[in-house]
Amino acid sequence: MADDKDVLRDVWFGRIPTCFLLNQDEVTEREAEPYYLLLPRVSYLTLVTDKVKKHFHKVIRTDDAEEMWFEYEGTPLKWHYPIGVLFDLHASNTVLPWSITVHFKNFPERDLLHCPSHSVIEAHFMSSIKEADALKHKSQVVNDMQKKDHKQLWMGLQNDKFDQFWAMNRKLMEYPTEDGGFRFIPFRIYQTLSDRPFIQKQFRPVSPEGHVHTLGDLLKEVYPTPLQWLSEHLSHPDSFLHICVIPVPSD
Amino acid sequence: MYPAVLRVAEMSLCVLDEEKFHLCCQLLLQLSEQLGDGWTWEGGQEGYLRKTALRSVVIDSSSVWDYEGGGADTSCPSRSEQQEGEQEQAAVDASADTDSIKGDMEDEEEDDGVCVASAGSSQLLQYEYHILHSCSYSTPVLYFRACTQEGRSLSLEEEHPLLGQPFFMLHPCRTEEFMRPVLQAAQDQHRPVNYVLSWLSVVGPVVGLDVPLKYSTLLPPPAAQSQADSAPLCLSASLWSPP
Repeated sequence: MADDKDVLRDVWFGRIPTCFLLNQDEVTEREAEPYYLLLPRVSYLTLVTDKVKKHFHKVIRTDDAEEMWFEYEGTPLKWHYPIGVLFDLHASNTVLPWSITVHFKNFPERDLLHCPSHSVIEAHFMSSIKEADALKHKSQVVNDMQKKDHKQLWMGLQNDKFDQFWAMNRKLMEYPTEDGGFRFIPFRIYQTLSDRPFIQKQFRPVSPEGHVHTLGDLLKEVYPTPLQWLSEHLSHPDSFLHICVIPVPSD
Repeated sequence: MYPAVLRVAEMSLCVLDEEKFHLCCQLLLQLSEQLGDGWTWEGGQEGYLRKTALRSVVIDSSSVWDYEGGGADTSCPSRSEQQEGEQEQAAVDASADTDSIKGDMEDEEEDDGVCVASAGSSQLLQYEYHILHSCSYSTPVLYFRACTQEGRSLSLEEEHPLLGQPFFMLHPCRTEEFMRPVLQAAQDQHRPVNYVLSWLSVVGPVVGLDVPLKYSTLLPPPAAQSQADSAPLCLSASLWSPP
């Protein structure tokens, strides 16, 4: 049990060293220095970058500055995805620190949601929690919570308070013993080479016959590509299918 | 002649799985075609219903698009919050706010592209409506957006799950609740019911999407409609946030 708790802490306290650079097309009154920050993997860009905005507002012409947005190698970064997901999806192969470009003009309306205040992030975060509970518990646990309990989840995340967050979150991680798990597992699979933002489906942690499902079973369900096809089309010239299992970057 | 009755067991009365959703959509498309109502299916197997409409609207920039003070109230309240009456407040505000955005909208049944020229403050907007299936809530979900003629879109709330683009969304978490009386009544009276069509006739008008009455002349009139109309709606978009 002690090991499981360590995993929770490792996930919560994961950090990504990041370098924020102002887009070179921005008109500045002085030279813009880069800004360095350790970003929490589990948080959201617009929640943790107030200092970045302050830093660059000192050098740009603030009267025509619009909403700040971020981009990595030409791809606008969706603030409503967890930072860790954005990094793993777009930049996991690059050398640290992660270099993100900051913009104050030409907001990409078709790609990014607007984020005018922290309340919008909170609404989004709570919406995800509720959707996840709809899958796990038919919304029973989250609906039985008080408004102050929901607030505690948000404040815990916003203020980086692991204990405060988990005091409430543990309720969302419980399940009736006789069920053997949640009703469905909330998961999302992101693919860079797809228009579709992510794959999400109903998937049970335990089969009706009582078999405990693994990640492999999930992938089998979502990616039913026959091994034969993979062998014929994705083999290297040496005729081998080379399969890599990489560890999560320890930040 | 009315297509296959959707026989539902008591337990799964309000659960709309993907297969049932597809069936309802196919039926709706057939009716839409007969009526010239403009719905299409996009995206293949994992797709959605789509419709566009041009509207001339009066935009009151101060009250409609400013959601700086929106806060977490814009997300779905829990049951305990509902008891505080916030839900009713949101529904009341929603109908009040609708007027400021609808402005001089044309009646959908008569025309689909004519705009009314008004002095100064009106704009021609292209509205786009998508109906998707939510596997998390097992209900239909309505996504919509509006663009100006120059392509600049209005304030955004949610990412469209298939297109990855910003849309407004009517949050599905209360759908099962307000659909229950409608579906129950239909079952009690042994009437066929199209979940998606019934649901659309409730939520559509809230976002300026008319569902022509002629759809229902091909169906028996739903007796529980007035019950469904007064059921509280849960709206995600900050557009409807209480003052």
